[in-house]
Amino acid sequence: MSATKSVKIAHLFPELLNLYGDTGNMLTLAKRLEWRGMNAEIAEVGLEDSLSFSEFDIVFIGGGSDREQEIVARRLQKFKRELASFVEDGGVLLAVCGGYQLLGDHYILGEEKVEGLSLIDLYTDREDPRLIGNIIVETDLTKTPVVGYENHGGRTFLGSGIEPFGRVIYGHGNDGASGFEGARYKNVLGTYIHGPLLPKNPGIADWALLGVLNKKYGIGELEPLDDEVELLANQVMRERLLSGKVKEK
Amino acid sequence: MKIRSIFGAQVGRFVSFTLTHFFHRSASQLPGRVALAIAGPNLLSDLSQKLSEGTVMVCGTNGKTTTNNVVALALKSAGKKVVCNYKGANMQAGIATALLPLAKAAPGEIDWAVLEVDELSTARTLPYLKPRYFVLLNLFRDQLDRAGEIDYVQDVIASSLAKTPNTQLIVCGDDPLSMGILARLKKEEGIALESNAGNSYLTFGIAEKTTEPTDRVPEARFCQVCGAELAYEYRHYAQLGAFYCPNQDFSRPTLDFAATNAKVARSGVSFDVTRAGEETARTNAPQKISVPFGGLYMVYNILGAYAATSLIGVPTPVFQKALLDYHPENGRLQKFELNGQEVILNLAKNPTGFNQNISLMLEDERPKHAFFVVNDNFNDGKDISWIWDVDFERLLAEKDLAVSVGGTRANDLALRMKYAGFGSVPLYSSAKEALAGVAEATAESQTEAKPQEPAPLYVLTNYSALWPLKAELERMARGEAS
Repeated sequence: MSATKSVKIAHLFPELLNLYGDTGNMLTLAKRLEWRGMNAEIAEVGLEDSLSFSEFDIVFIGGGSDREQEIVARRLQKFKRELASFVEDGGVLLAVCGGYQLLGDHYILGEEKVEGLSLIDLYTDREDPRLIGNIIVETDLTKTPVVGYENHGGRTFLGSGIEPFGRVIYGHGNDGASGFEGARYKNVLGTYIHGPLLPKNPGIADWALLGVLNKKYGIGELEPLDDEVELLANQVMRERLLSGKVKEK
Repeated sequence: MKIRSIFGAQVGRFVSFTLTHFFHRSASQLPGRVALAIAGPNLLSDLSQKLSEGTVMVCGTNGKTTTNNVVALALKSAGKKVVCNYKGANMQAGIATALLPLAKAAPGEIDWAVLEVDELSTARTLPYLKPRYFVLLNLFRDQLDRAGEIDYVQDVIASSLAKTPNTQLIVCGDDPLSMGILARLKKEEGIALESNAGNSYLTFGIAEKTTEPTDRVPEARFCQVCGAELAYEYRHYAQLGAFYCPNQDFSRPTLDFAATNAKVARSGVSFDVTRAGEETARTNAPQKISVPFGGLYMVYNILGAYAATSLIGVPTPVFQKALLDYHPENGRLQKFELNGQEVILNLAKNPTGFNQNISLMLEDERPKHAFFVVNDNFNDGKDISWIWDVDFERLLAEKDLAVSVGGTRANDLALRMKYAGFGSVPLYSSAKEALAGVAEATAESQTEAKPQEPAPLYVLTNYSALWPLKAELERMARGEAS
């Protein structure tokens, strides 16, 4: 018998980047591994901790307030090259909200241009008003559209040839105009859908897990789970939004 | 009063009368809104100038309504005439509505206005009302979509306070985020604020270790001066406790109103208060306070109310008696007795509120049911991501607990419960349905040898679901069909 399969997840700086419900994402990854008889090792990486990305299978970057996000941006500059090779090597990187903005060349904080990690060819400007509200995105990654919440002052622009996460069918997305949301590159997913992205969108959680399990153990397909509660929550919310019953303002 | 204010107030009072007498509607917002539309915001200052003593305001994320009601009740018990926004309508229009009776009052007829104020509404009320006392209870993460980040909320409160420099602040010293507002005032507004120097602010808090907190610290727990991570000598819950910055530039102050000997049980909370710096033995002796409801968070609410009323001159025995007379009928820990079935209704609108309610349920050793309700209407906050920050997992250890969910986001709650380990939980659309669920479970567990009492039902709900549930439970308590 082979040893229990295990996935190592780095939750980056949760003491700073925990603006809203990001722990829901960790919980979802852990439970969906556990329900398949596998093991999740989640490391909450602190700002002062030493960090070696090659030890991890999944890296998660959440959202924080402007001030906290800037601290993180500065801290991660040290690991720019290591993170780039993690990504090029097929490592799974999930970045939501402010974490998404860090993936690009730069973003704007007040009057200041904050250098990003340059992992994906994109950059972020800032504009009023903030784009706030529920959002639905159609994506190739899952059959079921993705539903969540966005709240960002940034306007993110993708370089040519950079694939978006999906197409906005309700809400704002990257810049409120292009009709696109998020960005994808190899096994990297960046999105403005903040906080608990994964619980109601189990297909995205499984896309991330399959990426790891394929790379690590050669697994080609995940054992299906009973996702009735997940998909019902997703469906009920989408129906409420598309029927116009939810007032955003 | 200026003509415009007199006219505005008259129209507002007419709207209030019409709503309550002809439409049987609660009139906590509209009269004030109409009066403000006619008279402008100076209506607030014109009306408040008719108070013979002044205004007390209560602000903070959690506990405003309870604290405010206790202050009002204590002042009334001390013989003062009071106007108050009892029901928690705490934005500019609600505050104006509460003040409208002053328009017709004779000079000296009303002594105090006791007003809770929404954090962001401080900007539109404080500069006009210039309260004598401003109680700041706490700041927790709440409604990010509406209020923005806590940084921003702190900025708004600090700049509102800067426009009323003579207001005596009464601040929770255990809360780094509330103390952060004082740090901002010092830095940015140039107001000298040294504790116990000129009494421009006083602090309250719990001065010794309480039970080990099991909740997370969901808030930013960073030094408000240098940004380093705060350390704690001890922590009570959330970010409240004896905090200090390792760089020694920010720490929990010496508490002016210090609670010790805090005891929390299902029957209520009790504690002693010591007033620091008082010279005489009489006032320096710890004052015993007890209240027949609430969890640890209630110690802060009562302590804040005690600090304000004792500064005004309400004697401790009068305050204590007012507490015993206080029967919340505002959906805050409101109890119902429905044919032998106990129902406890409470507001829980953000992670800290929910976590405190979970602590409260854990103190109840009986088998019990919980009905969690979350809506996503505008005044709830549209974004309910925070349900993933609530430690529902703490309830897993409870042997005899049945969980159900409701509200416009019932399905999200059901999903949260699944990932917390409760499996598939039922969705109910009313208190009646939840009670039927309890009755069914009670019937199932009946045995000849051991007849079962119906287990108490805790109904924990966020804001917009509170009022319909309260109304429904009240109808049932009166024996009316719902």
